[in-house]
Amino acid sequence: MHNLGTVIRFEITRALKKKSFWIMALGFPIMLAAIFGIVFLSNKTTDQAVKDLEKQKFSLQVTDESTLVNPALLTAVKATTITNKQQGIDNVKNGTVDGYIYYPADLTKQPIEVYGKDVGMFDNGRYEGVARALLLNSVQSTVSPQVSSVIQGNTPTNLTTYRGSEVYDPLKQMIIPGIFLVLFYMLIAFFGNQMLVSTTEEKENRVIEMILTTIEARTLIIGKIISLISLAFLQGLVIIVPALVGYLLFHEQLSLPSFDLTSLPVDWGRIGVGALIFATSFILFTGLLVLIGSSVPTAKEAGGFIGIIMMLIFGPLYAAPLFISQPDSPFVHFLSLFPFTAPIPLLLRNAVGNLQSWEIMLAIPIILVSAVIVLNLAVRVFRFGALEYSRKLSLKEIFGK
Amino acid sequence: MTMTNIISIKNFRMQFGKATVIKDLSFDVKRGETFGFLGSNGSGKTTTIRALLGIYQPTSGDLLIDGKPYTVSGDIKLGYLPEERGLYKKESVLDIMTYFGQLKGMSRADARKASLAYLRRVKLEDKATTRLDKLSGGQQQKIQLGITIMDDPELLILDEPTKGFDPVNRKLLMDIIEEHQAKGATVVMVTHQMEEVERLCDRIILLKDGKAHAYGTIAEVKKKFGNKSLDDIFLKVYGDENATEEED
Repeated sequence: MHNLGTVIRFEITRALKKKSFWIMALGFPIMLAAIFGIVFLSNKTTDQAVKDLEKQKFSLQVTDESTLVNPALLTAVKATTITNKQQGIDNVKNGTVDGYIYYPADLTKQPIEVYGKDVGMFDNGRYEGVARALLLNSVQSTVSPQVSSVIQGNTPTNLTTYRGSEVYDPLKQMIIPGIFLVLFYMLIAFFGNQMLVSTTEEKENRVIEMILTTIEARTLIIGKIISLISLAFLQGLVIIVPALVGYLLFHEQLSLPSFDLTSLPVDWGRIGVGALIFATSFILFTGLLVLIGSSVPTAKEAGGFIGIIMMLIFGPLYAAPLFISQPDSPFVHFLSLFPFTAPIPLLLRNAVGNLQSWEIMLAIPIILVSAVIVLNLAVRVFRFGALEYSRKLSLKEIFGK
Repeated sequence: MTMTNIISIKNFRMQFGKATVIKDLSFDVKRGETFGFLGSNGSGKTTTIRALLGIYQPTSGDLLIDGKPYTVSGDIKLGYLPEERGLYKKESVLDIMTYFGQLKGMSRADARKASLAYLRRVKLEDKATTRLDKLSGGQQQKIQLGITIMDDPELLILDEPTKGFDPVNRKLLMDIIEEHQAKGATVVMVTHQMEEVERLCDRIILLKDGKAHAYGTIAEVKKKFGNKSLDDIFLKVYGDENATEEED
C-alpha cells in the first residue's frame, strides 16, 4: 500500500477543486433551506390572516345563511353583509369588492363558497383563510376555551409505553440508528455515479499504462475508494450539519415536531450494529460500482449500469412494510441476508428494533466477505481490463483470468 | 560501464485467444546500452514491452528486469513512455507532474522542483498552472516525457517516443535521451525512425512473425544484410507485409 496516501490526497484534492462537487454538495442543503423557507413564510395562523386582512384593507362582502358568523368580527374586518349571493359574485366580477364569502345554511352539507379578485397564486389563499378564520373565531367565542380545544383536537396526550419494566418509545428509539439508513441512502444516491465512473477516467485519458507501471492497481483502487468514502462523509456533513442547526433554531417556526434531542435514547448496541452494517454495505457497494466501472471502457457505458445498481440497493424499500410487520418471513430473511439487497432491510430493521441477533451475526460477515471479494474482483478487472479501451470485459474474462 | 544484463527475455510466448502474437522470443538488453526494438506495425513490440512491465500476463516464458519480474515496488527506477499517450486532462500540468513524481518515490517538494526545472527546459514554465487539456498535443507529449524522466530513471523504455513530435521537439527528445545515456541509463527504444536508431542505438533487434529476425549490434545486423542501410534492411524485411495500424 505504498503511495496510498498520495493517491488519496490527489483524488480528494482534485474532487474538491471541481465545481460540480460543490454544486452537488451544497445543492441539497440549499434546496432544503428553500423548501423550509417557503413553509416558514406560508405558515401563518388564521388569527394572523384576520389581522392581515385588516392591514391589507381588501374589501369584503359576506352572506351568512348559517348565522354562525359573529357580526362583531365582520365589523372588525370592515366586511359588509349582503343577502343576495349572486349579487356578491357579480360585485367581485365587476370590481366593486375584492372578495365575497357565502356561508350556506347547513355547513355540514354544503361548502363555504369563496369568490375573489385574482391576486396571484399564493395570495389568492387569503380569501379562504379569512373565510375559515371568521367562522372559527365566531364559533370559538360561543363555547368555553376547554370545549373549543377539545373540538379542535388540541387536547394534549402523553403516551408512555414499556418494554418489560423499562420505558420504551419506539419512535425515539429508531431515530439515532435510523440516521445510518438515511445516510446510506443519500450517499449512494449522490455518489453512486461518481463511484461508477471513478476508474473509467484512467482508461478514457489513456493514462493507464503510466499508472500501472508506477503504482499497484490495488493501491490505486483502494485509494480511490477511500477518497470517495471521505468525500461522501464530507457530503454527509454538509447535509446533516445545516439540517441539524436549522432544526434546532427554527423547528417551532416550521411547525416541526419538537424533540428534546438530549432526551433521545442512546442504544449503543443498535448504534454499533447500524454503524457496522452501514460501513460494510458502503464498502461493498463502492467496490461493486468501481468493479463495474473498471470493466467498461467509458464513463458513458458505465452510466448505463447505475439504474441496475440503484434498483438492487433501493428496490427492497418497496417491501418496507413487510420488514416491520413480518420480520420473520422467509422473504424478509432472504432480503436481509443476500448481500446485494441486505443494506436497506438490515438498516431499517435495526432502526425499528426487530433485527435478531443471529441475523446480525450472519449478515455482517456475509456483507464483509462479499465486500472483500468484490474489491479483489475490482482490482483484478482494473488490472486486466486496463487496456481494453473500446470494449467491456465479459463475465468469462472477469472470472476466468 | 558494467555490461551485465538489465533485461532478460527467454522463450517468451504471447497468445490472445487463438492468435499467437509472439511465438518464441529471447533477447537481452545490457545495462547502460541503448537498445533499438524494431518491427513493423503489429509485429509484437508493444506487447513485449507490456508483458515485460507486467501489464500483460505472458502465456509462457521469462521476462525479467534486474533478474526478476517487474513490480512497481521493486528497486529499479523505471521511466516508461507508452505508445498510448495520455494523462489526467482536467488537472494542472504541475499537479500532474508532482503527483507522478510522488508516485515514483520523490518527496512533494522535490517533485515540484524537478517538474518546474523540466518545464523551464522545454519552455513551458508559463503553462505550469494550466489544465493539461488546454495544451496542444505536442505540449502534452512533452509533459508526458517529463514525467517519464523526472526521477532520473536507470531504465528508460520509450515506445515510439518521437510519435507526434515536430523536428524541433524531436531534436529536444534526442538530446534528452543522450543526456540519460551519458548518465549511464539503459534506454530501450521502440521506433520506426532508422535515423534515430543509427544515431542512438548500440544494439537492435528486428521482430518478425513473433520471433527475432535479426539481433545484434548495428554493424552485425548490417553485415547480415550485406551492409545495406537500416532503411533498406527494414524495407527488405517488412516490405512484403501488408502493414496495418493495429496495436503492435
